[in-house]
This record gives sequence, C-alpha cells and structure tokens, in this order.
Amino acid sequence: MSEKINYKSLGLKCGLEIHQQLNTQHKLFCNCSTEMKERNPALTIKRKQHAVASELGEVDVAAQFEYLRDRTFHYQVFQNETCLVEIDDEPPHNLNPEALHIALQIALLFNCQIPEEIHMMRKTVIDGSNTGGFQRTAIIGLNGYIKFKGKKIEITQISLEEDAASIVEEKNGNVTYRLNRLGVPLVEIDTGLLIGYAPEEIQEMAYLIGIMCRSTSKTRHGIGSIRQDINVSIRKGARVEVKGVQELGLIAKIIENEVKRQLTLKKVEEETRIAKLDGTTEFARPLPGANRMYPETDLEPMAITKEYLESIKKSLPEPWINKMERFKTKLRLSDLLAKEILESEYLNLFEKTISSKRVEPSIVATTFVSTIKDLERREKIDMSRIQEHKLLEIFDYLQDKKFVKEAIPEVIKYLAAYPQNGVGDAVKELDLKPLSVSEVKEIAKGIVTPGMNFDKAVGIVMSKVRGKIDAQEVMKIVKSMMK
Amino acid sequence: MYSQEIELLLKSKNIKIGDKVSAAKGKLIYDGILMPRIELGDPSSLVIKLPNGYNIGIKYEKDTKIRLKERGRPIRFKPAQITIKKDPTKPIVSILGCGGTIASRVEYTTGAVFPAFSPADLLLSFPELKDIANIKGKKLFDLLSEDMTLSHWQIIAREVEKEVKSGSDGIVLMHGTDTLHYTSAALSFMLQNLPVPVILVGAQRSSDRGSSDNLVNLVCTTVAATSDIAEVSVCMHGSMSDDFCYLHQGTKVRKLHTSRRDAFQSVNVLPFAKILYPEKRIEYLRTDYNKRDKKTIKVDDKLNPNVGIVYIYPSIKPEFIDSLSKLYEGVVITGTGIGNAPTNPFNDKFAKSLIPTLKGLIDSGIPIVIAPETIFGRINMNIYTAGRLLEEIGVIGNYCDWLPETALVKLMFVLGHTKDMKKIREMMLTNMAGEISKRTET
Repeated sequence: MSEKINYKSLGLKCGLEIHQQLNTQHKLFCNCSTEMKERNPALTIKRKQHAVASELGEVDVAAQFEYLRDRTFHYQVFQNETCLVEIDDEPPHNLNPEALHIALQIALLFNCQIPEEIHMMRKTVIDGSNTGGFQRTAIIGLNGYIKFKGKKIEITQISLEEDAASIVEEKNGNVTYRLNRLGVPLVEIDTGLLIGYAPEEIQEMAYLIGIMCRSTSKTRHGIGSIRQDINVSIRKGARVEVKGVQELGLIAKIIENEVKRQLTLKKVEEETRIAKLDGTTEFARPLPGANRMYPETDLEPMAITKEYLESIKKSLPEPWINKMERFKTKLRLSDLLAKEILESEYLNLFEKTISSKRVEPSIVATTFVSTIKDLERREKIDMSRIQEHKLLEIFDYLQDKKFVKEAIPEVIKYLAAYPQNGVGDAVKELDLKPLSVSEVKEIAKGIVTPGMNFDKAVGIVMSKVRGKIDAQEVMKIVKSMMK
Repeated sequence: MYSQEIELLLKSKNIKIGDKVSAAKGKLIYDGILMPRIELGDPSSLVIKLPNGYNIGIKYEKDTKIRLKERGRPIRFKPAQITIKKDPTKPIVSILGCGGTIASRVEYTTGAVFPAFSPADLLLSFPELKDIANIKGKKLFDLLSEDMTLSHWQIIAREVEKEVKSGSDGIVLMHGTDTLHYTSAALSFMLQNLPVPVILVGAQRSSDRGSSDNLVNLVCTTVAATSDIAEVSVCMHGSMSDDFCYLHQGTKVRKLHTSRRDAFQSVNVLPFAKILYPEKRIEYLRTDYNKRDKKTIKVDDKLNPNVGIVYIYPSIKPEFIDSLSKLYEGVVITGTGIGNAPTNPFNDKFAKSLIPTLKGLIDSGIPIVIAPETIFGRINMNIYTAGRLLEEIGVIGNYCDWLPETALVKLMFVLGHTKDMKKIREMMLTNMAGEISKRTET
C-alpha cells in the first residue's frame, strides 16, 4: 500500500513530540514513589473541572469544548504513590533534583542550549488527566540536534514535565483515572518540522531519539513509559495532532493512515486525535488554542549555574547512538543484535563481559538477548536465582575453553536449579569438558558407516557429543569419515 | 522587580515590560516578550516569554545584549460580555468581595490573576449562579486575609446591613480562607436580629485552575443564601471530592488543614446543613437555627482591639504572660487539655507556676479567658488541681466549649462594651451566638 503514495509530492510534513518517563526514585514535585506497582486504589475521589475565563473575557475554545462535555472525574488514589500534591490538595514541593539532573543530561546529549534560569509553567489541560487542570512544564533545552543519515535533525525544544494520570475508563460522562502516574517526571523532546521524509524514516528518528534518552540509563521502560505525539499534515490537508502513540512500530502506519484519511476528506479540520492500538486514530477534540500557558507561581524559578552545568557535562554518559555504532563496527554485531542488546536489561553486564573477557561479542550478546529469553520462556527458568557474577563466570570458562558455547544453555539451567553452586560445579556434574577431535572421531567410528545419509549421521553423533564440541567440527569429522 | 542595573538598561533603551525583544548572550539568542520579574528568583535574570508560551531566564551579565523589536500592546481587560436578565421569580443574592481571589480571571501573558467581582464577571466564571438567584456583586476591598483587622470587620458588618436593607434575600461574603473563621465569629457577634442568611465562602485552591474548589463552594453558598437559615455561617467543601459543602455555624468552625479543600470543620457541633453538588439540594442537619423572617437587622460593631491570645506550653515563662499586661486589656490563654496551665502544686524544682502572674493580671482588671488548645472538647476546670487553681483566681471559661479564636473575638466584643470585671464575666459566660453549646455533639 505505502509504496503507492508519493509522500514528497503530497507535501508531507511531520513533527514528533516524544515523551520519555525518567526513572527517578520520587515524583517531580513530591516524595511519592514512582513505582506504579499498586493495583488496588485506597480510595477514589470525585471531581469536576470548569473552564477559567481569560483576561479577554472568553473561555479557550478547546477548554470550553471539554467543559461542555460535562464530565465527572473519578481519581483513584494509591498508597505510597499518591499524596495530597497529586490530588491537588497541596501545593508542589521543590523540583526533584534527580529528575532535573537526568533531564539536563538528555538535553546535553541532544546538543541543546540550556537556559540559565528555569521557569516552571502551568499548561492548561482540561481533559481531567491532571487533577489541577494544568500540567507543570519547563524548558530545559533549546536549539539542539540529532544526526540522522548524515543530516542534522533539529531538536527545537526539550522540556521537563510531570506525567499525567492514566485513564482507566470513560463511561456516560464519568472518567476514571489512576493517579499513580500523575507527577512521574518525563522529558518531552520536540523535533523541528520534518519535511521530505517517508513515514518509515520518521519512525526511525523516533527510535533514535528514544535510544538517545536511554543513554542516561535513567529512563523508564515498558508499556507507556515512552509515548509519541505526531503532528501530520499534507499540502491539501490540515495540521492534525495524533496523541499517545505507545508503540514505536506503529508510527509509520499511523502517518500513512492519517495521510490517507486526509486525502479522502473534502475539508480537513485542525484537531487532536487519539492513537488506537491498531494504528488508526479517533477524534478527541479541536486543537487547543494559544495562550494556555502561564507561570507556576508556587515554585521559584531555578538558576542553572555554570558550575552545576559543568559538573553534568563532565559526567555525561556515552550517547547510545555512538554506542550502537561501536557495537556494529568494533564488536561486529548485526544491526538487530546491536539494537536488541541496547534494549536488553543485560546491557551493563554485556559491556562488562566484553571489556574484561576475550570472548566473541556476538556470542555474549546472543546469550543475553536470546538464549536467556528462550530459557525463561520455554523452560520457565527463574533468572533471579542466578547471581550476576556467575553469569560473568560463564564467560571466564568459555574464554578458557572449559566448555563450548553450545553448553551455555545447560550451564544456565544448572545454575538456576542449584543457586548455591558455581559454574565449576556445572562443568563437573554435567560432564561438559570439551572433547578433542580425536575423541569425537573415536565415538563416531561406531556410528558412521560409508553410504549413510549425511544428516542422519551428523544427528546421531551430535546426540552423543552435544555441548562438548562445536557443531561445525562434528560435521567436518563426519564428512571426512564418509569419504 | 528587576535589579537596578537591568531597570536602568531597560530605561536607557526605552524597553518596557510587555515589549517584543531580542536578548542575546554569546551563542544564546532568545526572541520573545519581556516579562515582569516575579518576586521569586534572581532579580538579575531577564525573563523572556518565547512564542510558544514558555518562559525562560537569562542571567544579565556584561555581554548580554537586549534590543527592542516591537512595542508591546498594553494588556487590557475586556469587560465580560454577558447580558443579565432579572428573573423576578428568583431571590436576590448579594456577593461581596472581602479579599482573597475566589473569583478571578487569568491574564495568560504574565499569569497575573485579576479578581472578578462584577455580576457579569461572576456569571462568566460561574454560569450556574443565574439558575439559583439574581446576583448582585460588589468589591469591598482587596486584602490578604491575614491582613484583616477589626476595622475591616466593622466595614463588612455595615455593608451587610446596607445590602439587607436594600432588599437582598441573602448575603455571600467572599473571603481569604486563613482568617475566615475569625471574621465569621466577629460577624456572628456584631450582626444581630438577622432576617436573612449571611455566608462566608473562600477557596483553598487558586481560581486560575480548572480544578479550583471555588465553583462548588460558591454555587453551594448561593444555594444556602436562598435557604431559611438566617445565621452567620461558613460554606466550604465537605470532603476532598466535589460532592457537597457543609454550612458551618460561624462561631463553631475552624480551618484545620493548611491546604485541603475540606479544611474547614465544625467543632463540637454539627454543621447546619449539607448542600449537595451538583444537585444544589439542601440536607438539613440541625433545626436549632434562626429562621428567615422580616426582622430588622441590627449592627453592634463596638470592638476592643486590645485583646491577645497566648498558647500555654511546657516551660512557659511567667514573665512572658506578665509582659502582655503592657499591651492588652484582655487575654485568652489556650489551656492544656481540659483546661490547665502550669501551677506547680507539688513544688517541683523545675516547674514554674503561672498562678501569681495570672492573678496579678486579673487583679489589675485584665480578664483572663481560657479555651482548649485541643480545639475539640469542653473546658472543665474542676477535674485537676491546676484547673481548680485557675478557676479560683477568676479565669473565665469553665464549661465552655468555644474555640480559642472565637473566645478571642468574643472578648474583643465584650471589652468593646464594658470594663467591669463582673459584667465581663457574665457576658463571656452567656451564650450570644452559639459560641457556647449546651451539649457537646458526639
């Protein structure tokens, strides 16, 4: 389908707003936990929200629209994860310094200019997702860029803000929200106008931006921890904002669908649409008007001193985009394996292994991203039973040729089954000592007969020597014996 | 206000707040509107509003350059464009602004919040009000509630009288919340023979936010103002939800939380009523209130400002209490527990009795009134030695379940009328406006 559309000639313009949650201990403006693990609300609070008149004596278009919908909001409160700040019954505490630190790291990774004084703003939101009727947000970086296919993609702005409450359900004018997500720190990264790119390229950029944020190792993972808003317009259409795309892989599809939708309409309205899980979108509300932002007077503007900024610059982590390149070129990992190991929870362990052991990096990466996953899925192995140093030890033994790479799954299974034992015990008890070529030849002698089916012969020999010699070796031996 | 250095620079370049400017320092260039410096933060940082609405600050240093790009337009308030039709079938409710910004409009450029008091403004912000009553609006003064004085109470009392006499069926007083319960107590004593409800209302969350409690509070208050409860009362959120308000008796209510919207609670009594939102229906919780009728309002605004209040606490110095005699003609002490203060009957070597000092004050004509620092409950000075000693020297308040703040205001009122200790005692111990209840509610 998508090949048929010439996006360049349609004048496709996109803009990305990427929201990435930060993995801080506490929320942005209070000391509540950011874990979001509580399942049962301690209580539910019922609230209404109303439009606020501006100095012009009129109510904002988008705000009024929501207001007229006459909704009642039900806010679920969770122990340890919600306090009076989230239910808008207490003013914000000081800005969380940990969140600011991570956000500034991200802004610097995107080559942004950092303002010398940060001003927290109130951005009017009246869909009920913020109990106060506004979201707190501040610019922490401007005029940055990220490299994409040799070009600089403009990162116009990065802001540090509080996440909104997550919706549970909406029924007959009653909207239920969970408040544990409200106040979790996040950074919003805005690109400049992206013109002349195909939807797949826009998706790739979103991926790179996400990867860049993760360089800090202080971002949250999992469903909903990164969300994209996409602005889409074509020459004959209008600017439409698609909000809340949670699946990176859907971005291209959503852009394609939105372009198609705009192509079928006689007149396109500027509006906000909500992304659905199948890549289609549905109408949410007209685009909000301007002037919806005013200062958060409950918080003092915060100076970013030169000394503070220097200290962050000095300890800036390696950008993951560079890391990914390094994995591909120096470590000779495939594109897929490089991406997978970057996203893996074992990334740190992988890097530790690579830097201290002489083992083929792709073997280490494969162990972490696929062998372990397979064992967890198929054999229900509980990886939490294996201490980190034992995983490292596996590669010591491998380096010293105490067993071959084919034995790794067996060793891991053993370690999970006997958490008190070490890799040495596994080698002994599983009898993993590698067999020499002559030893295997000896075993094969009794099996292989001339004229036998090659695959069958290899299969039988393998079943006797699996995990003790490289499979390639076995094939060589069998081949030589069948001559 | 910016630092003097910046103010001078702006003056020399003829740049005014609100102008479009370009501010540059090294690689940093910001184009936007020059904002006023709010009271917080570094006065030597320029605040620029970027085109997308965000503000940022630029530290002013030698190499900072600022250039006028375009003269800004002054911010003008357009009056709310609403035609108000009088509905002869509905009662008239007067809403008087006594400070606090329960109703306001936001100027989104600077974030300044402007109080709104014209009927049109009120109806723009709270359209539901027109379904309840014909609204009259008037601003009495702009004031932070902590700056409220006895003089302000007197002005409010006179204004209420005017409104009632001009035919209002109910009076709503918008008030900052911090000292709202002092004002409600004062009006309870000053406004006598009330023919209509007089209700104080505030908001715990600022009116610029869509979640402010102002709407529910004001709607419920207006409903209560059309009821037959012709009392001075306080109407505020009854829970953390937007589901109902309580109508509290003016002398028996206190702010008991710094920030929650249900901060106001009735102490030792039930509220008069519950007003359900959004149903706008009254559920009566008591029957012992003055009913609306054709009485003529009477204002007695004689108050004595020379009254103090002091918290009793461990190790309090008798000299501290004594020093109050130089400033005050009457003193309220918040007794510990059921009505005690240090009296040292066991002659402990560390403890110091307040009895000689308190007796000295009383003997010199300064009444000492006691109220419970526990807030809830009733004073009973017959239970412990300390209480009995206090009662013996003439401390006033036995069997009273009044709030410390109400006792303070009552003493101001009583001392506005007499200096005679016997008369003071008699007036203090006589219930005037529900401040002393006969029964303590469970």
